[in-house]
Amino acid sequence: MIKVTINGKEIELEKPVTVLEAARSAGIKIPTLCYHEQLEKYGGCRLCLVEVEKIPRLQTACTLMVTDGMVVRTETPQIADVRRGILEFLLINHPLDCPYCDKAGECELQDLVEKYGPAKGRYKEKKRKAPESLEDPVFVRNMERCVMCTRCVRMCDGVQGASAIAIINRGGHSHMEPFSGGKYDCEYCGNCVSVCPVGAIMSRLHRHSYRPWQVKEKTETICPYCGVGCTVIAQVRDDSIKRVIPKIGSSVNNGMLCSRGRFGYEFVGSSERLTSPMIKKNGVLEQATWEEAISLTAKRLGEIKNKYGGPSIAGIASPRCTNEDNYVFQKFMRVALGTNNIDSTARTGYAGTQKFIENIFGQGATANIISGLSNSDSVLVIGGDPTAINPILGLQIRACSRKGGNILAIGHIKGLEKFNPVTVSPRFYTETLLLEGIVSALKNKKGLPGSIPALEAKIKDISTSAKEVENGCGIAEKDFIRFTDTLSESLTPSIVLGKDIAQSSGGSYKLMLISAINYLMNARIYLLSERANEQGVLDMGCAPDLLPGYRPLSFAEFRKRYENAWKSPISEKPGLSIFEMVDSAKSNALKALYIMGENPVFNLPNSKAVKAALKNVEFIVVQDIFLTETGKLADVVFPALSWAEKEGTFTNMERRIQRLRKAVNREGMEDWRIISEVAKNMGVKLDYSGAEEIFQEISRISPLHRDLTYEEIGKGGAIYPYKGEPLRGVMEDIQMHKGSSVNPDGKLYLRLERPLFHSGTLSTKAPALVKIYPEAVARVSPAVGEALSLKSGDMARVSTRTGSLELPVNIDNKLDNLSVMLTNNFEDKGAFSLMEYTIDPVTKAPVIDANEVKLEKVLA
Amino acid sequence: MLNEAAVKELNEIRQKYPNARAALLPALYIAQREFGHLSPEAYEAVSEILGVPKAIARGVATFYVMYKHKPMGRNIVQLCTNVSCMILGAEKLVDFLKNKHGLEPGGTTSDGRFSMVIMECIGACGTAPAMLVNDDFYENLTEKYIEEILGKYK
Repeated sequence: MIKVTINGKEIELEKPVTVLEAARSAGIKIPTLCYHEQLEKYGGCRLCLVEVEKIPRLQTACTLMVTDGMVVRTETPQIADVRRGILEFLLINHPLDCPYCDKAGECELQDLVEKYGPAKGRYKEKKRKAPESLEDPVFVRNMERCVMCTRCVRMCDGVQGASAIAIINRGGHSHMEPFSGGKYDCEYCGNCVSVCPVGAIMSRLHRHSYRPWQVKEKTETICPYCGVGCTVIAQVRDDSIKRVIPKIGSSVNNGMLCSRGRFGYEFVGSSERLTSPMIKKNGVLEQATWEEAISLTAKRLGEIKNKYGGPSIAGIASPRCTNEDNYVFQKFMRVALGTNNIDSTARTGYAGTQKFIENIFGQGATANIISGLSNSDSVLVIGGDPTAINPILGLQIRACSRKGGNILAIGHIKGLEKFNPVTVSPRFYTETLLLEGIVSALKNKKGLPGSIPALEAKIKDISTSAKEVENGCGIAEKDFIRFTDTLSESLTPSIVLGKDIAQSSGGSYKLMLISAINYLMNARIYLLSERANEQGVLDMGCAPDLLPGYRPLSFAEFRKRYENAWKSPISEKPGLSIFEMVDSAKSNALKALYIMGENPVFNLPNSKAVKAALKNVEFIVVQDIFLTETGKLADVVFPALSWAEKEGTFTNMERRIQRLRKAVNREGMEDWRIISEVAKNMGVKLDYSGAEEIFQEISRISPLHRDLTYEEIGKGGAIYPYKGEPLRGVMEDIQMHKGSSVNPDGKLYLRLERPLFHSGTLSTKAPALVKIYPEAVARVSPAVGEALSLKSGDMARVSTRTGSLELPVNIDNKLDNLSVMLTNNFEDKGAFSLMEYTIDPVTKAPVIDANEVKLEKVLA
Repeated sequence: MLNEAAVKELNEIRQKYPNARAALLPALYIAQREFGHLSPEAYEAVSEILGVPKAIARGVATFYVMYKHKPMGRNIVQLCTNVSCMILGAEKLVDFLKNKHGLEPGGTTSDGRFSMVIMECIGACGTAPAMLVNDDFYENLTEKYIEEILGKYK
């Protein structure tokens, strides 16, 4: 126990902390400027100087560690003098343009001067001048206001790991700048904006549009973009979101946000939002009243059900909608329409991967705490760039490297390249051989643990030497050995697994190999998740083979339980997966399709074929916030409320259930309420007073959510199984599919890029993100570009068997010579319009890595 | 791009330091030598080889006056105007260089032959005024002597 006395108050401490932390824990305030709880200590601003007995000079409280018996005084006349002097120094150059500065009202310098003075400085010299930099679309830099606390640089370099900015020059001329001096070339996380104590770095999105004190509504909610589930605070004025900032402290993100979360909120107030229901008349969508649209939907669904039966109707749920929306939707499909035909885009990889891994290791095997990654001594990354797909999870991997852990990357991972990854890049289509090699090496080094015989039976068959890996994958034997040695020597490894694996040929076989690595290393496995509620949509039973609570439909016992709860029979026949729905539509078997918050005509591979298939469907209902490509095909379109306008819960990739809170008022209905109205018109009671009542029903009947309440979730840390019993011991045979091998030499393949700045088409409705990443580009290697004499910015025609697009080219030094990378975000320019797919028979995920592509230069 | 020999030199320097950032100063000198000054390409080359972010490399380099941040003439005249040199007439020499050769502090002659930088003390107070031309040291300067010296550099 350490005893210190601060301002006469005795404080007992368990472990050594800084004087500042000790004082704060006892409620004693010490002013600071350069100190920030998220950042490395700096001791630069000198405002936290305190008097310590037996030390002759004043000490910085933020860097001085307490020792037993230390006596500290934080407020003496001498200290007050010093603080006044420091502030006077800062005001030599800091302009007093507070009336004009957006920071006024939440400026730390303003608050300090208000408290410690001086009202007026004695310096007569002119202040430093630097024109405000508006060269960047998102950030405004005003270096006159910079107080050189270096918080932004410590954030960018030490926490975010982007290292895009630095202090340049010396002495009175020094200030912060990005490399170019003007526009940023960075991850646009905006965490530098978060930590700037003054108005030196600000977001351009809300420039001069409001004052901090005018924002009365501060709603704590969850970011709508990816599966990490960051807690954000939406600041709202007049029902318009002015700013989204991260929550510091107990949250997944702990004060950090990525570009999407921070700058991607503007879609909520977009003028393109749907405002009224629409009904298709003579091939044209026309505005209609809610009553008309609801009664028409109920009537047509009723007719189709009676004429063709429930299984001729299917539903597509949404990983962007809340648990409550999805729960009501699947209940509607099962109870009102009598079909298990319900699925979502989680089928494109996440669902099948999770099921495969949980089948081997038990339910919840992929539910691992994100912050735990930084405590691993090695992280194996495969199948996607975590720093782009789940940026806040990516930060934990960077933190792991900073703490001395090893990053092991299969393939080049752009966002981790500065963190000394041990990388092995197998030739195209030889990932399987590499994984076999790793499994063999680990098997020889570690031996078989003996706990999962079914998996060990598969592992025993694998024997691939380092030499074979060298010949097959083009990875030098010594590099491969270094990689497997580093992996096998680690004691607390983690595996981060992206969707590219499930979407590649032989995906399920690769998943078995990755499971084997996980098993031999006793690692923790994380599944990257691209949508905010991708986990929740599965938990809610929006899958053809699952009931709420992730319970298999095939078990009569579970069906019985839900039949009793819902007072309605449930079909025992598994429904159609989202891809089977498309096939069924193609063959005219599917008569009606109800789509909630999803855009299959854009978000499924071979989107042109999906569109053609959906044209066969007699009746399509779409609920969405924008008129999407799918909405244009619909017979009835309902305007939904967005993420910011409703209550509910999301379940993140850790299985943490978190509360969404309404930040903005808007006329309209939540997704679940529209469905409930349609059900009412069909004579089925699906009434709830609000989202909370739905959740109460969920927590009553889903074993995973048992006894969980909104109040409990609000406190944070509601990670399921919450008092529920996980399902273990239901392991089925490990089925897998090796896929076909392809000789890719001399060909080019179209591959899906998953960008940091976009997510689905939603982010393209957020102007700030579009300014950062404005258009679809085809990314190719220098060699590919050179062969066609293409430079960055030149136009090229990208053609596959399903069509062609004209796109600007971007040359990427780190890309291999077989790939053309393209995103699937921009209207009419999506990679999925050029991709065909086959279905992996085990994971049911689409395999999209075999799309040969032709690249030609387009002459201007 | 750096030539092979320079890349090799950089990699060798890197080995002498415990981490990449520590090797920045000598690495930047090599890049400056190869590129003439620290251009964006020079930082990119150093960043690529050492694995130090280019913004950080630029931040470090701009702290020091002996790195050049804009294109320089073929030869760099570095004249001291600190106390001893000033007393012994260095400022007159500045005027001389300006009037006779069109060489202003921080500037470059139109033929690209010389650039001039004003130095702080170069430790030759006893033999002031003094200057460096590239890496060569000259002291007890007079206008005539400067003429003679400059003639050696093409």
